[in-house]
Amino acid sequence: MAYQLYRNTTLGNSLQESLDELIQTQQITPQLALQVLLQFDKAINMALANRVRNRVNFRGSLNTYRFCDNVWTFVLNDVEFREVTDLVKVDKVKIVACDGKSESTQNKNDKW
Amino acid sequence: MQMFLRLPKLYKSVIEDVINEVRELFLDEGVDEQVLLELKTLWENKLLQSKAVEGFHTEEQAALQAAQQQQQQHQVQQVQQVQQVQQQVQQVHQVQQVNQPAQAQQVILPPQQQQAPQQQVIVQDSKILQHMSATGMSAAATAATLALPTGVTPYQQLITSQGQILQVVRAANGAQYIIQPQQQILVQQQMQPGSVQAPVIQQVLAPMQGGLSQQGVIIQPQQIVLASGNKVQGNPQLMQAAALAQQPGQAATAQVQQVQQVQQVQGSAAPQVPAQTQAQQPPMILQADGAGDTSSEDDQDDEEEEYGEDEEEEKDKDGGEDGQVEEEPLNSSDDVSDEEDQELFDTENVVVCQYDKIHRSKNKWKFHLKDGIMNLNGRDYVFSKAIGDAEW
Repeated sequence: MAYQLYRNTTLGNSLQESLDELIQTQQITPQLALQVLLQFDKAINMALANRVRNRVNFRGSLNTYRFCDNVWTFVLNDVEFREVTDLVKVDKVKIVACDGKSESTQNKNDKW
Repeated sequence: MQMFLRLPKLYKSVIEDVINEVRELFLDEGVDEQVLLELKTLWENKLLQSKAVEGFHTEEQAALQAAQQQQQQHQVQQVQQVQQVQQQVQQVHQVQQVNQPAQAQQVILPPQQQQAPQQQVIVQDSKILQHMSATGMSAAATAATLALPTGVTPYQQLITSQGQILQVVRAANGAQYIIQPQQQILVQQQMQPGSVQAPVIQQVLAPMQGGLSQQGVIIQPQQIVLASGNKVQGNPQLMQAAALAQQPGQAATAQVQQVQQVQQVQGSAAPQVPAQTQAQQPPMILQADGAGDTSSEDDQDDEEEEYGEDEEEEKDKDGGEDGQVEEEPLNSSDDVSDEEDQELFDTENVVVCQYDKIHRSKNKWKFHLKDGIMNLNGRDYVFSKAIGDAEW
C-alpha cells in the first residue's frame, strides 16, 4: 500500500473535496470514494518516483522536531529553498516526512 | 522556473491516471461515467481555483472560463453600484496590497447578491476583486459587517446588507479571518465624519490576538468605540455580529455582554467596556481615561460584574497580576507562544515527502529527503530529492 501522505496536498485535498461533494449529492458511495483515494495514493507515489527528476536545497533554522511512528515532523524558520533556477523564501515551513526506505512494508495509516 | 513548468503536466498526468484507473471501479459499482467526468471536472476546477498551479488548462477549463465571463457581465452592474458607494474611499491601496498576497479565495458580496450561489461569486472574484479592493470598504458599508453570518461553514461567504467588502481568508487549517486593515478604518472615519456609526463598528484583526478563537469572524467593537470617540449606535448590529461571529460560547457571550455594556454607557466614555472585554481581548484597550475601570465597574449590572470577575480571576491565574484592571490590557505580553498564532496564516507552508536520512550533530541537522510536494507561499513545487541544513 502506498503512503497516504500525499492526500494533504493541493492535489490530494482538491480530490478529497470533490469526492466529498459527490458523496453529498449521493452520486457515489463513501466506499467508492475511499477506493479512489487509494488509487490516488498509488498514482501520486508512482508519479513522484518516476516522473519527477529535480533537486532542491534548503537551509534554515530548526524550530521543532518530532519523530513518532517513523514519521519525522519538522518546523523550520526563515528557510530558503533553492533550485538551480530559482529561490523561494519562507518564514516558516512544516516538513512531514515518512520513511523513504522500506515503503512497501509500511502503511502510514495502519491501525494496530 | 523549472519546477513551475513541469507541474501542470505532472498533475494532469496524475489526474488522468487516477481517473482511468477508477473508471473500472466506478463501473463495478454501477456508477455512471458521467459521475466520473464530474469528479474530474471538480478536481480540475479546484486545482485551478487554488492558484497553486499555473497554466492548468483543459478543455473543460476553457468552457468554464467562458461561463465565468458570462457571469461576470452580470456582476458588472452590481459591481458598479458598489463602486459608486465606495468611490470616496481611496486609500484602499493598502487593502490591495494586503489582499493580493493572500492566497485564499476572497469573496465579495454586494448587497443584491446575497442570494447568488457561492460558486458564482467565488468564480468571479479574481476579476472583480481588483475593482472591489480598489474601492475598498466604505464607512457605511462597514456597519453591515455586523450582519455577518457565522464565518465558519460557508467560509468564503460574507453577506453584508450594505455592500460591505470583506475578505475572508481561509487558513490552511480551516480557520478564517476577515482581513480589514485597521488603518483604513481610521482613515475612513476621518474622511466621512458624517457617518460615524459605521466606521465605528468596523473592525478587524487578522489573527486573533490573545489567543482567542481561531475560527470565525473576528469583530471587536471595543476598538471601534475608541477610534470614533463616543458614539456607538450600531449596537443591535454589534450584538448580532458578535453573537454570530464568535465561535466559542464564552467569547460570544463575553462580546455580547461587552456590547451590552457599550449600550448602557453610550453617553459616557467607554472605559468600563475594557474591564470585561480585556479579559478576553487584551489588545482591545477601550479606556479613554486610563485607569478608570474600577470605578466605572460599579455602574454595571451585577451579572456582568461577576462574569468579569471570573474572567479576571482566570487572567490572574495566568498572569499572576495584582492590579487586575490596569494590567489586563497588558496581559498580552504574558502570551509567550506567539508563534502559535502564526500557524493560523492562510498559507501554511508545508512539505510532504519521504526521508532518506536525517542526521544530527550537536545542534546541526542535515536532511536528506525525496519525492516531495511543497506548498510554499501558496504555490506548489515538487522535488525528487531535497537536501537541507538547519540549526536547532
